[in-house]
Amino acid sequence: MSLKAESVSPDWFKHKRADKNLIVNPVIPWLMIGFPVLILVAIVIYPTIWMGYHAFQNTNMMKLFYQDWEYIGWQNFATVLSDDRMWDSVGRLIQYLIFGACLEVLLGTILALTLFELVKSQLARVIILILLVLPMMLPPSIVATLWKFLLQAYNGAVNHLLIKIGILGPMERIEWLDAGLSLWSLTMVDVWQWTALPLLIVYSGRVSLPPAIYEAAKVDGASQFMVLRRLTLPLLKEIIAIAFIIRFMDAYKFVDKVYVMTSGGPAQSSELPVFIAFQKGIREVEIGEAAAYAWIIFAVAMVLITLFLKYLKKVLKAQTFA
Amino acid sequence: MAELELQSICKAFQHPVLDRLSLKVPQGEFFVIVGPSGIGKTTLLRCIAGLENLDGGKILFDGQDVTNVPPYQRGAAMTFESYALYPHKTVFENIASPLVAAKTEVTEIRRRVQDVTKLLQIPHLLERKPHEISGGQKQRTALGRTLVAKPKVYLLDEPISHLDAKIRAELRIQFHTLKELREVATVYVTHDYAEALSLGDRIGVMGDGGLVQIGTGREVFDQPNSLFVAQHLGQPTINVLDGQLQKDNEDLVFKSDEMQLPVSRELANKLKNDSGREVKIGLRPQFIHCLSEWENDKDLPVFSFQAEVELNEALGSYGVLLVKAMGKSLTVITSPEIHYSPGQKVELSIETNRSLYFDAQNGMNLGTDLTRMEADG
Amino acid sequence: MDSATNRLIRYLFLSFLAIWLVFTIFPLYFQFITSLKPVAEINSMVPTFWPETMRPENYSGIFADPGSLKSLIDSLIVSIANTLLSLFLGTLAGYALARFIRGFAGENIAMWILSNRMFPPVAVIIPMFFLFDATPWGTDSYFSLITLYLVFNLPLATWLMMVFFRDAPRELEEAAYLDGFTPLQTFFKVTLPLVFPGMVSVAMLCWIFAWNEYLFANLMTGTTVKTFPVHIPSFTSGSQTLWNLVMAFSMVAMLPPVLLFIFLRRYMVRGLSLGVVKG
Repeated sequence: MSLKAESVSPDWFKHKRADKNLIVNPVIPWLMIGFPVLILVAIVIYPTIWMGYHAFQNTNMMKLFYQDWEYIGWQNFATVLSDDRMWDSVGRLIQYLIFGACLEVLLGTILALTLFELVKSQLARVIILILLVLPMMLPPSIVATLWKFLLQAYNGAVNHLLIKIGILGPMERIEWLDAGLSLWSLTMVDVWQWTALPLLIVYSGRVSLPPAIYEAAKVDGASQFMVLRRLTLPLLKEIIAIAFIIRFMDAYKFVDKVYVMTSGGPAQSSELPVFIAFQKGIREVEIGEAAAYAWIIFAVAMVLITLFLKYLKKVLKAQTFA
Repeated sequence: MAELELQSICKAFQHPVLDRLSLKVPQGEFFVIVGPSGIGKTTLLRCIAGLENLDGGKILFDGQDVTNVPPYQRGAAMTFESYALYPHKTVFENIASPLVAAKTEVTEIRRRVQDVTKLLQIPHLLERKPHEISGGQKQRTALGRTLVAKPKVYLLDEPISHLDAKIRAELRIQFHTLKELREVATVYVTHDYAEALSLGDRIGVMGDGGLVQIGTGREVFDQPNSLFVAQHLGQPTINVLDGQLQKDNEDLVFKSDEMQLPVSRELANKLKNDSGREVKIGLRPQFIHCLSEWENDKDLPVFSFQAEVELNEALGSYGVLLVKAMGKSLTVITSPEIHYSPGQKVELSIETNRSLYFDAQNGMNLGTDLTRMEADG
Repeated sequence: MDSATNRLIRYLFLSFLAIWLVFTIFPLYFQFITSLKPVAEINSMVPTFWPETMRPENYSGIFADPGSLKSLIDSLIVSIANTLLSLFLGTLAGYALARFIRGFAGENIAMWILSNRMFPPVAVIIPMFFLFDATPWGTDSYFSLITLYLVFNLPLATWLMMVFFRDAPRELEEAAYLDGFTPLQTFFKVTLPLVFPGMVSVAMLCWIFAWNEYLFANLMTGTTVKTFPVHIPSFTSGSQTLWNLVMAFSMVAMLPPVLLFIFLRRYMVRGLSLGVVKG
């Protein structure tokens, strides 16, 4: 035996084999993960490839039926990208993401912190929190139906409430679901339902911050505003970012309320890209074009998802080593 | 019968942690491994338990090769530094766990758990959950789970290091008296040298890559084979001075600046051709005495000199004196009852027979016979 | 900042909270009172903010159509089956990822699995028609919906279970191995109880999603299998929507997720934030 390792890397270390596992047979973990992966390949990867193939074919319903579609190169993509309907919808998507997802996170954060910092009674906090978060639990189709009912122009509850308060004259009506406002109304409904998510996440994040650091700040005599700006917000930064990203990705593929409330109308005024892809594929059965649409949406999503996952990984890692 | 043998085991993560380590722990022996934290003590235990797979070498329980036997069939019991009690189970269920795994009869389980808890003085806790009991009680529960199993090998990982001094002393005594532990091979890991000296039938000092020295408590304390071992065992830490061996007339002396210490006769014989060699000398604080409170009644060879007090710490059973002499700082153990004030001049004596000499390059003890170590390992 | 402005700001924020509370509750309140009104009152020119005539019979009225009960049962079958399947597969895969498949491969597999969750469903739905058409059950079946919802729920369950398993101390499992439990026994006796709150969270989220889902159900099914969101538009008389029945039925259908949330909300937060917030 030697007093010290003779050299920094002894022979056996240079030829070290991979760690084998004494506890379970190394095949078993791969079996455990194999099932879910196979299922996801079948229900996500296979369809994506299928769509990728048809994006380059002139497939429509008849051709699909007789199986005689043919290769047409990038033509579907050219059609989609030269279509004003698509670019209009991209503009609407951006508007919707800003006033939907962004606003939800901003409002959610403000509401969560107001609730935590300014409502003193524990019971009141819990009750208010539950009430504010309720919309998130509701089926989106019910929410859409309910709001469609509330927003009716002539005898809708919203307009009549505004009349009661005096904002509208007795004969005035706002056409909430008209071409000019329909996207805004959709956005409002989305904000109504989903502000709850950032609210709940930020509130829980705030609850989990250790009280000790706040006591230290109190001893230092910092004002409540200072504490908020210098302590709370920086500590909640990552949590708020995650809430934003979750909302952003959901909003990006948002389509169910458009379906129920406006069906993209009137006059295509509330169409979002994902909705158009649905219409193309399912109502108009232009499979080729729909596939091209889907792949463009998919490619953009992949970029966003990759960025997001990188960030999420970083946050979770930092948490484990904190 | 239960005997543990490690044959040149190797384990590496990013760098080698255990490098061809060999060890034999016979039945009934309480073997303590001591070493600085992060050196791989826990890894060694985990390898023996089967929680880590070896990169080389063999592990034998009772002469049977268990290197490729998974932990749940190996028959080793281990306490974890963090206790690892199941939070959702009561103390009773925690302790009974190995018996349940072995499909023992219910009445038998009850009897054996009661025996163990009586021994550990925790029978009143049986219905509590781990989060409802104190650290010392958790420790005893973890120990109970280990003891009840009747394993081939006990592995105890810093079992009492996180407890407060009083419970620590209490449990230390329990370790001495538990006959369960004395029936099979036990490997006990600690970073506390006092615990090691107190408990170990033999002690292994762990350094980079393996055990640097193995021996009884007295052996590793009095005859450390290297500077590393000498520095690791003993509180306060041994004084180490750089210097040179020189000839002074016929005698060999250690010289460091103005300090000149005679080398003991036996060592001088061994090193007579080494005049001019760079060495380090190790002077244990307990072998430097204040002349005012110590009488050399056994007529030991000493070297006396004057020093100036820098700091005096009066601890319970002894005092620690930091002094400066001949340009060196030294730590000295004194009686706690006598007060020294900074700046005071004191007369000190070093027991020269107790001085340890180490090679300046590789830290080997120049006085011990290294061939004996070889046979031991 | 002096105390007067300070107080003003506080009141400003509090009143905003109050306004938002009203904004949140009003539609639900109106849904509730509409479910108690007769049709004529709903169709009057000026809506009433408290029912003039109470008609609690609406609630029994919705079940005059046998399709109503069946749609709720269909929803239950689909959502529970999907939840169990997601939880089972997600637990297996999450455990493998948390404990055995680490490093580069494990991390990338986990990331890929989660990325499916954020995938736009539009890329999936059309080929799914043909895929399910080829199965013996066809598109309009429990099988198709239960499988389709895995697109969302399986990635979520796998990811979350992985996060929960990673948080469960490994040493407890190792202690169980040394007690003599096999890996399988250890998993059931030690690991699963540790992640049980996490499993509740995952089950709730998966169930609520599957219960609430409308788009796939509407496109894929509708005759043999008809979940409640697809059933809602059928409350009509001629071309007229019977809003009172729609609202009453909606009240019934949204009760389960709401009750789940109220009673088990502390389990949910962690899952909703993909494991980031330790609620």
